[in-house]
Amino acid sequence: MGKSNLFINGIKGDKAIVLGNEAIARGALEAGIGYASMYPGTPASEIIAVLDKNKKYIENLYTEFSLNEHISLHGAIGASWSGVRSLCAMKNVGLNVASEPAQFLSYTGVKAGLVLAIGSDPGAPSSSNEQDDRWYSLHTYMPIMEPSNIQEAKDFTRDAFDVSEEFSFGVVLMAPSRLCHNAGALYFGDLKDRMEIKGDFKKDPENYLNLFGMAVRNHAKYLERNELLKKYLIDSKFNKIINGSSSKIGFISSGVIYAHLIEAFDILGIYDHKILKLGFTFPLPNELIKGFFKGLDKVVIVEEAEGFLEFQIKKIAYETGFKGAVYGKEYFNPTGELTIDDVISGISRFFEKPPPVSFDFAVKKDKELQAKLPQRSGTFCVGCPHRATFYSILKAVGFSNTEEKERDVVIAGDIGCYTLGLLPPYNAMDFLTCMNAGLEIGQAISIFDKNKKVIALVGDSTFYHSGVPALLNAVQNGADILYIILDNSWTAMTGHQKTPSTQKDIDGKPSQNPLNLKDLVKSLGVSYVKTIDPNSVKRFAALIKGALKESGVKVLIAKRECVLQEIRRNKSLNKNGGRSTETGESLYEIQKSRCVKCNECFVELACPAIILKKDEDKVSDYYYIDPASCVKCGVCYAVCPNSAIRKVEFDLRNEFKLSDKSLQITI
Amino acid sequence: MKKFNIAIIGLGGQGIITMGTVMKNAALSFDLRDVSGSERRGGAQREGYVETFVKYIFYENKSEMNDPRKNMHSPMIESGGANALISLEPLETLRGIRYLNKDSVVIFNETPYIPISVRMGKTSYPEIPFIVSELQNVTKNIFYYDFDRISLEKFKSLTQKNIIALGALFAKSDIPIEPSAVENILAEGKGAEENLRAFEIGLNL
Ligand code: SF4
Ligand code: SF4
Repeated sequence: MGKSNLFINGIKGDKAIVLGNEAIARGALEAGIGYASMYPGTPASEIIAVLDKNKKYIENLYTEFSLNEHISLHGAIGASWSGVRSLCAMKNVGLNVASEPAQFLSYTGVKAGLVLAIGSDPGAPSSSNEQDDRWYSLHTYMPIMEPSNIQEAKDFTRDAFDVSEEFSFGVVLMAPSRLCHNAGALYFGDLKDRMEIKGDFKKDPENYLNLFGMAVRNHAKYLERNELLKKYLIDSKFNKIINGSSSKIGFISSGVIYAHLIEAFDILGIYDHKILKLGFTFPLPNELIKGFFKGLDKVVIVEEAEGFLEFQIKKIAYETGFKGAVYGKEYFNPTGELTIDDVISGISRFFEKPPPVSFDFAVKKDKELQAKLPQRSGTFCVGCPHRATFYSILKAVGFSNTEEKERDVVIAGDIGCYTLGLLPPYNAMDFLTCMNAGLEIGQAISIFDKNKKVIALVGDSTFYHSGVPALLNAVQNGADILYIILDNSWTAMTGHQKTPSTQKDIDGKPSQNPLNLKDLVKSLGVSYVKTIDPNSVKRFAALIKGALKESGVKVLIAKRECVLQEIRRNKSLNKNGGRSTETGESLYEIQKSRCVKCNECFVELACPAIILKKDEDKVSDYYYIDPASCVKCGVCYAVCPNSAIRKVEFDLRNEFKLSDKSLQITI
Repeated sequence: MKKFNIAIIGLGGQGIITMGTVMKNAALSFDLRDVSGSERRGGAQREGYVETFVKYIFYENKSEMNDPRKNMHSPMIESGGANALISLEPLETLRGIRYLNKDSVVIFNETPYIPISVRMGKTSYPEIPFIVSELQNVTKNIFYYDFDRISLEKFKSLTQKNIIALGALFAKSDIPIEPSAVENILAEGKGAEENLRAFEIGLNL
């Protein structure tokens, strides 16, 4: 974003390159929000992060990284009822957790405008499923807006607050990752006077109390409001019709897929058909669709996922007596991301008109080649304590990934950076679904399969999200399970938001009220709880081995801060500590003559800073620690069974001496 | 309407997203231009595939800019639709082959990052000549350098390799914006002096 921080100060006429998520946040600012919260989740995280980062410059703005989505949406409702416009953001699966408040929101209605921005993740590049949250609105009745580009992301968000207030619904703003992480030009609008933002909760028992007959009355009221909203949407500025020439074919689309469609038409040189761009994809007024149908005998719905629009529009076609045909999922894939390529292919098939030669050639070439290429998956950062945790677990249970050997403990996975442990070379998870499924499912497995030991993993942020009741439940019901909490002090995966474990900010400022995790676990009734530095891999493995021999619920807290945060803090405090990449004070080195290529460091631990280098003869190769990426965590030094790795320490005049003391990592 | 599409690909931690942001800002201050393009970010973790698209749109006139059939652009680049591809990792260049057509310009970095599957001995890493010959099946405009080495030699760090690669893009393609537009952006940002020098090095490759 521009140097003068247009995000805060920008006014009408200003223009900047902005991320889709930032555009949503800016739209909310232009609408004069006073509350913004989320539980972090890709691809939505930056929506609240950018507000939180800038709040010291923004009058009357409260931001919160809530412990979970249920709390976050309830917070937004409380702000709204206090007369303060509120923005709540979450990723697609967050709405599962927040579905309860969402379900009640239409019953009670809002006071000040409330917008729920949802980052969906088609193709699941950053999620454990690709659910389309639009379907929720068939029962929550939350209206849905779908911006197509960055400008609309801002403008729709701003306008959503007005619609929310006028019809007393929380409005959903849907943005797929392609929009959340689209960066492009944004024209700013003006900001509201922020001094007017003030909370004043007025009792409203008729709307806010839901019980027995009151709930039924509120139910009837929101159905009525829904009808009013439908009427408003018949000719609002949000739904647009582009008229065609004499063609009897029409296309309906929305959001980013509409942008794909317009460009696909341009690439294919097709300009003569009628198009309906839906800004609101719920509710859909019959009159709007009926009007669009006029003069058409074929209608094609171009949308991602399983046909939410098609479902509604086919019903309207039936109700309004449309005689033509409605197509949709016959031409566009219901699973995975719907890419511009998919739209081009679908349109080409529909018109039986071949796409450009260069397109076909590229698609074919790509298909031919991809099967031949080695796969690449993300892995833990260099020096990440999770790598040491997985290494320790696998060693404790006698598993090696260089020998083909089954591991006989069950490892329950969960959501966070450590989820990457399910990938090679660790392959250290047996199931992975949603937040805190690990312990909850693992508990039952431990009860029914007495022949296998069960280890459940969880990160600190995920544990605080909804793991506390899961752990209490395991204790109360006599589970036999080892629960390892990978406490790295941050919600690292989504860009390092604080958790109750965070002790110090990256500028070194201590947190206001950090939690003592061990005390919390103890207070839940766990008597077997130990804290360990995961980088002490030998001790950690021994602890795991010991814990697996005990019965009942055992908790090990693998406590070490996310290495990225530690490096950042060292940099910002300008001390180069032992772990900075910049200094030459010490380094780890593999002694070629001693290394027998046993692969303990290169494959079992698999630190990416250890690389394969070609000898001068260009034939043989050797293992080498790349000093430019090594962060000197010392774990490889601890795992090498052949003492081939040494620590070299330099003094200030650039002479080096070998360290003879073995590396002591203290807890 | 004219378009110029650039796909920039590589791995997490290589500065791919920054390259996209610089290129987009370089086009911001001109009338009758639009710029967009999505990023594929790989969480916080390292070594995953990252890509960013930079799409420049040049309108002929105001009425084209206001035409709803022309003024909406996908955040993605379609297969065969890239005018240029920059890749900071040799193997990943091949994963970007789908964006290329016979006129595309390819600029790639020779320094490999060995994926885990190769580390485990399950697959082997393609040699540079194989990569080049596969690319040549599509386009003849292929340029590759060891940007890692150049950056290390000139700056004692790898961080400048992405800006050097951007310079190379201006040297080797007919990108319709002036290098000075990029220089203006670099001059305003962090590490301006080094970045300007890096861009210059790329321009002279
Ligand atoms: S010390 Fe070893 S394990 Fe740690 S970052 Fe360096 S090479 Fe990797
Ligand atoms: S663990 Fe030691 S001997 Fe084994 S490959 Fe690594 S450096 Fe060589």
